[in-house]
Amino acid sequence: MPRLADPNPIKVADCGCITPFGGAGATLAALLRGERALQPVPVGGIAGGDLVPLALLPGRDIDETALPSWGPAMKRLLAKHIGPQWGTAKRPVFFTSSNFGVGHLHAYGRTRDEKHLTFGSPYGCVDWLRRELGWGENFAIFSHACVSAHLGLVHASRVVSAGLADEALVVTFDFISPFVSGGFHALKILNADFPAPYMNRATGSIGLGDGAAYAVLKRDGDGFKILGQNLHNEMYHFTANQPDGLGFTACLAPLMEKTKGLRLWVKGHGTGTLDAGRMESTRMAEIFPSSPLTGWKGSLGHTLGSCGLVELAIAIEAIRAGRTPGTVGSSAPAFTPNVALEPFSNREFNAVLCASNAFGGAHAALLLAHD
Amino acid sequence: MKIFRMADPLTTRLKHIIVDTLRLEGVKPEEIKDDEPLIGTGLALDSIDALELVVKLEKEFGIKIGSSEESKQALSSVAGLAAFIRQRADASKLPV
Repeated sequence: MPRLADPNPIKVADCGCITPFGGAGATLAALLRGERALQPVPVGGIAGGDLVPLALLPGRDIDETALPSWGPAMKRLLAKHIGPQWGTAKRPVFFTSSNFGVGHLHAYGRTRDEKHLTFGSPYGCVDWLRRELGWGENFAIFSHACVSAHLGLVHASRVVSAGLADEALVVTFDFISPFVSGGFHALKILNADFPAPYMNRATGSIGLGDGAAYAVLKRDGDGFKILGQNLHNEMYHFTANQPDGLGFTACLAPLMEKTKGLRLWVKGHGTGTLDAGRMESTRMAEIFPSSPLTGWKGSLGHTLGSCGLVELAIAIEAIRAGRTPGTVGSSAPAFTPNVALEPFSNREFNAVLCASNAFGGAHAALLLAHD
Repeated sequence: MKIFRMADPLTTRLKHIIVDTLRLEGVKPEEIKDDEPLIGTGLALDSIDALELVVKLEKEFGIKIGSSEESKQALSSVAGLAAFIRQRADASKLPV
């Protein structure tokens, strides 16, 4: 349930992400230049297969026979938070991912090599990571497909808001494995084409990307104010959205009162699939006709459960810079006129709505004030 | 004089693939009509069924289905699927 009446809203005191471009600042700069991190990569990684658009961290192969190649990247991302100050009762950590180390579970199934077992379950993977980062045992794990990061943000906000913790650290990570890319390829939504979110074309496609991010949430002090958050599940079908797109509207309904008087821009989900992209841009155009809608998965690929926080970190950098990237990878005609294909100044706006959605008709939205 | 039309071996094979691959309970291959919609209405297969079928069809007939839109088009009906496969598969892969 949304918590909208809190007179002392939760703030994002610190936030960062890592993508193939680097940190949030480097990623914003690349997006503003219209650069695409996605490259044609064999769907099975070192095992070969059809070429599909993947955005991997520099130097990282998708090789499920090796131990996690993303541990060093997580240490770089969280360098200033390494140590025993996190994972305590008053400073808990909320881990989210859609895939955790599922590639290792697959690798174990194929090879029976026990080195993969540590990473083959969500708990094993997270426990390994928190030990590497020197954190205590007070952590929680959340996962709900591609709204996983939003789910972690909502729960962490509530814990802090209720005074159960002084601050909370939300950590999210999703790194591509052959198991994951192979699954999306079998669905034919990860195919040879680069994604073009919200573009009205004959064939849809997505890309997949490595991504991780964190946010420190606090009740007091400085930071970007979270004005409201909501989660909604259509319960319509276990993969598809309900065809009228009303799930997008339902997720935003509890936030509408809070948006009154705000000048909003919208960071949408926009993976590059046709049906969901059309529904999202149409509903956003109905609800916020004067708000530009942008999405960055045409460059970064879909970072799956982590996308909500990876893209929030980039949105915060965009607010700081005063300039928001357009929908990289897309060109006219867009489904609706609200789609921002080019970068724009965000100085005339005072809030951003960050929206994500997921398999099974799961939706999430977070409303963030600019100051 | 009554004329018996021979069943097309490819459509017969496709009906068996659909029933066997998806383990459809209470559906016999011969009960599936050639022009019956497969997705949504008719047999009412869903996207996970489509995934399983596409994987099986690509393997058996050596074809490639490039996108989810092409997948939906291919799986319009058994007759549509047969036409799609005939256009793309090597003749040696087709049942006779």
